[in-house]
Amino acid sequence: MNPPPLPSKQPSLCANNFVFEPMPHPGNPIRALEDLLKYPGRIVHELHQTRAAILATWLLIFGIAGVAIYGVVIGAQLGGAQMWIAPAKLGLGMLLSVLICLPSLYIFTCLGGIDTQLRSVCGALFAAVCLSSILLIGFAPVAWIFSQSTDSIVFMGALHLLFWIIGIRFGLRLIDAMGRFLGATSRGHLRIWSVIFVLVCFQMTTTLRPIIAPSKTFLPTEKKFFLANWFETMNGTNEKKVK
Amino acid sequence: MIKHLKTLLHGEVDARFLEKPNVRWFIGYCIAIVFGSSVYGATIGLWRAPLQSVFTAIKFPLLIFLTCICNGAVNGMLAQVLGSGLSFRQTAFAILMSFAVASLILGGFSPITLFILYNAPQLASEHAIIGHSVMLLAHVCVIAFAGVMANRRLFGLLRKMKGRDATARAVLFSWLAGNLFLGAQLAWNLRPFIGAPQLAVQFLRDDSLRGNFYEAVWRAFRHLFL
Repeated sequence: MNPPPLPSKQPSLCANNFVFEPMPHPGNPIRALEDLLKYPGRIVHELHQTRAAILATWLLIFGIAGVAIYGVVIGAQLGGAQMWIAPAKLGLGMLLSVLICLPSLYIFTCLGGIDTQLRSVCGALFAAVCLSSILLIGFAPVAWIFSQSTDSIVFMGALHLLFWIIGIRFGLRLIDAMGRFLGATSRGHLRIWSVIFVLVCFQMTTTLRPIIAPSKTFLPTEKKFFLANWFETMNGTNEKKVK
Repeated sequence: MIKHLKTLLHGEVDARFLEKPNVRWFIGYCIAIVFGSSVYGATIGLWRAPLQSVFTAIKFPLLIFLTCICNGAVNGMLAQVLGSGLSFRQTAFAILMSFAVASLILGGFSPITLFILYNAPQLASEHAIIGHSVMLLAHVCVIAFAGVMANRRLFGLLRKMKGRDATARAVLFSWLAGNLFLGAQLAWNLRPFIGAPQLAVQFLRDDSLRGNFYEAVWRAFRHLFL
């Protein structure tokens, strides 16, 4: 199978530290992780080649594994069954968020004037999620120290959210870089999509709640929007319901 | 090694030093941190009691090493995603170097804080609270100065490495934010350092792992203003 055509007009190199160049070791998944951190432009470039599917699969696997590892740290606050419930919910939530937002990302890339294939878009999204997961693993020791020092669900929830936002901020830069690499005429569409993705992820934490707090059931019995859930948690209403 | 530490304090370290970090320097930085921060830590606790002085001399370097270890992974990752090109080992070296500079400065200040301590009202006197406040203020000023100087040296090194101010600033800011955020919590867990006059001398408080620094600040804020 021939590789998909590269855009005729290549963007300037080094914009925002992204250098779009071939990966020196395209078959090595561990090197791919290193490139994701140090030279994300290489990943964006590789995702537009024939071997993109293999790389994208690895990125998705690493992304889910990374989130699950961080989930263990979240579950460690309460221990017991939460040690497997939290990683399972986080892994599942991440996968569902990706699946929900993938079609809209493809539509938004088209709206932005990008002529690309679905697998390249998939790869870019998996890479973004993978990068945020790796950063979450980096934050895991910090989160663990706080989780052992406090019983406050609100504080820990806010802390985990802060770490995730930092991680996904870097992840979404990759989507933006993909837009630049493929010669997007407008980057506004991808930014709008980024906001949608973040909102979907926020809602996913409420759909699969509770992730930090204890619960009698695996999934909630009541439907809620994430803002309502957050406000209720802050006011202590949810805690009273559990008791 | 002493020559290298002097170069660090001068801020004349060549960018090449981070390209090939060696074990000798690593050990040298650790010794500088242990020596400088222990001596200074001893002067912090001495106002309360000699035993508190020993405890703080142990805990101060422990705080620095725990912050470096726990933030090591995320600092390395942030340096890479922000485009500094530094590896995990180089990141650890650079941060350890800045802590070594801060510790050396603190060590140098310890005779001065000891002098302030000598002149401060004693614990048994009726003006003990003034002594506590003066010591607290002096330590905050000295530690802040050491921190600012160490980070200036670190910024200079990052700028030499990368050649771009914006990248160096972003990396430094991200490291600072992470280290301050975790360092404050670890300091809370490892309290007391000075030792409140009305509480017993202890290595760690009985409730050292209960609550966190930010909740305590929030409670204090609410108590004062809300």
